[in-house]
Amino acid sequence: MNGRRLLSHAVPVLGTGMALAVVPLFLGGSPYGLRITSLMLILAIYAVAFNLLFGHTRQLFLCVGALAGLGAYASVILVRDLRLSPFLATALATVGVGLVGGILSYVGVRRGLGVLFVGIITVAVSLIFHNLLLGLRQYTNGETGISTRGLGFGLGETPERAYYVLLAVLVLSLGGYQLLMRSRYGLAFRALEDDELNAELSGIDVTRYKVGTAILASALIGLTGALYADVNGFISPAVFALGHVDIPVLIALLLGGMGTTLGPVVGAVGFTLVDELVRPFGQLTVLTYGILLIVLFLIFREGMVPLGIQLFLKLGRALSGRVPREAEGAAEGSVGGSESTQRG
Amino acid sequence: MSILLDGLVQGLQLALLSVGVVFVYGLGGVLNLAHGQVAVSGGLVAALLMQNRLPPVLACVAGILFAGLVALLLDQTLLRQAYARRGEERLLLGIILTLGLSFALDGFFTWRYPNVALTLQLGSPYVRMGGLTVRTGSLAVAALALTAFLLLLGFLKTTFLGKAVRCIIQNEVGAWLCGVNVHRARTLTVVLSGLLAGVAAVAQGFFSYLGPEMGTEFTILALIVAVVGGVRSLTGTFLASLMLGLVNAALSYTVGTYITWIVLLAVAASTLLIRPEGLLAYWP
Amino acid sequence: MLEVRNLWAGYNGITVLRDITLEVPGRSATAVLGPNGAGKTTLFRAIAGLVRPQRGRVVFEGSPIHGLPPHEIARRGLVYVPAERELFPQLTVLENLELGAYSSPGDLRSRLRRVFDLFPRLAERRGQRAGTLSGGEQQMLAIARALMGRPRLILLDEPSTGLAPRLVAELYRQLAALQEEGVTILLAEQQVRAALGLCERVYVLRDGRMVFQGSASELWGRPELRRAYLGELRRVEPVGEARDGR
Repeated sequence: MNGRRLLSHAVPVLGTGMALAVVPLFLGGSPYGLRITSLMLILAIYAVAFNLLFGHTRQLFLCVGALAGLGAYASVILVRDLRLSPFLATALATVGVGLVGGILSYVGVRRGLGVLFVGIITVAVSLIFHNLLLGLRQYTNGETGISTRGLGFGLGETPERAYYVLLAVLVLSLGGYQLLMRSRYGLAFRALEDDELNAELSGIDVTRYKVGTAILASALIGLTGALYADVNGFISPAVFALGHVDIPVLIALLLGGMGTTLGPVVGAVGFTLVDELVRPFGQLTVLTYGILLIVLFLIFREGMVPLGIQLFLKLGRALSGRVPREAEGAAEGSVGGSESTQRG
Repeated sequence: MSILLDGLVQGLQLALLSVGVVFVYGLGGVLNLAHGQVAVSGGLVAALLMQNRLPPVLACVAGILFAGLVALLLDQTLLRQAYARRGEERLLLGIILTLGLSFALDGFFTWRYPNVALTLQLGSPYVRMGGLTVRTGSLAVAALALTAFLLLLGFLKTTFLGKAVRCIIQNEVGAWLCGVNVHRARTLTVVLSGLLAGVAAVAQGFFSYLGPEMGTEFTILALIVAVVGGVRSLTGTFLASLMLGLVNAALSYTVGTYITWIVLLAVAASTLLIRPEGLLAYWP
Repeated sequence: MLEVRNLWAGYNGITVLRDITLEVPGRSATAVLGPNGAGKTTLFRAIAGLVRPQRGRVVFEGSPIHGLPPHEIARRGLVYVPAERELFPQLTVLENLELGAYSSPGDLRSRLRRVFDLFPRLAERRGQRAGTLSGGEQQMLAIARALMGRPRLILLDEPSTGLAPRLVAELYRQLAALQEEGVTILLAEQQVRAALGLCERVYVLRDGRMVFQGSASELWGRPELRRAYLGELRRVEPVGEARDGR
């Protein structure tokens, strides 16, 4: 990879990072604003992970909330009951969740389960986890949840620092995503999307790439869950439920564009805006989620990022009579995914 | 003992819901995640009509018919989009669209009618039968469900359309080639599944109460049963409903709700791993 | 009876068949030959309504049928027996047959009797589930089911697949009997011998195009044609004549 390409691939990620970095300045230090934007970043990270899982390896892991919850509760309980340091607890939780995700993926691949089956099984896992949290009240405090003050890095008390820590994680994830896409994993992804059987027959070890991706993505989710516990100051079964995590992630990715680099971020921003608009109306948020899901999946499936890129390219051509270098570079920055936007 | 009876009757109610799911999946290739909400819509209509002084029987009939209507609308609008695709695309589209609808309806019901609930009573709450104290509610549900199933069975076994439905579930292409208008049969079964869901909602009114938020729970239960019984097998699903109804009743009484849910979910997940076509499918 | 004019068809934007024209006269037996992937199945699916033609016309007994849904075409007397057979595995032989008569009810008994006369083995197994039958029996059931609809034209896609040579001979004898009763036959085959024994007219498909049309005798009497279009190097002896197997 020569210097120029490296730069053009890094540009979208760094640009986004910088754009997001200045957001707190507009919020004037309002804790509510910082909280909302922090949650937005968290959603974006979840979306990056889910993008890898479903967008690239067709693993419909409808258990993002459960995995995050596992990371959160594990790290909190490790600190509270075993008196581990927050760093160690978080690290252990991250690794643990990564392994769980890997196991789920392995079972799915081994049994040759299709997308539907994996989806149903992961939903079942989510619900089982939810019920476990409610049932094991001696550890989890059941529905009431656990306050995490003093049990983590103390990010909850410093909203601005929390925001930047999350932003760093997001940027690193995006960078990691880019690296992955340009590595052998990226090649494998493209082969998998096209035809899994053919990929297998061409010598690509489908198991390794699917499970490997699952481990990475799940670990990321687990880490983010643990961070959420710290940032939010409070965890309960409800905040990791399907409707609270998985559905927004789906909507965000549909909005932003699955299989693209910036799709998760754009989608998370879009979702958060809509959510804030509808929030005052109470139950209408649920209604809105539903309608969004339907409309997006029917009409708007590509998502904004691919559309944006097409628009950008057209604009560039119109302005200069040829495809400008920057546009070419920016397009390539997400080309690893945008080819694969025709997704069911 | 009365727990077992209750369990069987609950199983009958589950069967009303899960048979509907099997119909829609078997004929349309779509897993209807909004099935529970279809049931709830019928129940809410019945409750609202009863609030307006309509006699319970009429209100319930209207509710059941309304549920069928909702199913029809669903078929003609959202599901039509799914039917236009094939195979995995159809499955995925169907799941996401019905998932979205389930959320939309859930949100709508709980926002607009948060305090409406359907409760039905049949004279005194208990009755003695053969040395046992039985809840009249359970008796009512049993009667209702069995009637519905007998009618359904008659339809499936005797009429030509009924036979067509059974064969579409097994092989859609084969049915086309025999001259069966699969589209029309499909719409009919979706409506049937809606009607059955409406009956399930009324049954819930007899058990305890039917509230606007219960849609998701219904759907999940129906799916668990359908998965265990086999999403393509009507008899398997019926048997699984009875079995899981018993399990549900027994466990809830002994170890509590959470563990019961975990067990049921685990059974469903294991079925998918061990025998995906359903534990009880095609046994005899 | 059946006319296909300038038909183009395919799947998902990919074109498989290009400009196919063929004619099947009433009461005849016609064969469509060609290697794997030539498009024979696509052609039949397009005629039967399972695939929508991209261009061209299909006319059956004077009325256009291209674009009609498959059940409608079946009701008009054009029945398709796919290579995959598409039976109902959980239903019995008898039930499968009854469903074959779905579109034209009435006088089920005599039709069943006729079908059982043609395929006595099916009569023996009438209470058995279709999924448990052997390959040859399933093939017979598929054809029998198609016959229950009283078709005037029957489309057979590779009927000899998976059948032992003796069974193939028996099958083609029954097809000949059918033809005598007035049923028009259009079949696709990879096994050239059997088809040429029964059919008067032959079309050869290659890579989605029609590369030969003529009489069967023309094709088997001229080895250079056979070699060019079908890759046969030995003299082909039609099964229809009184020669057994090899």
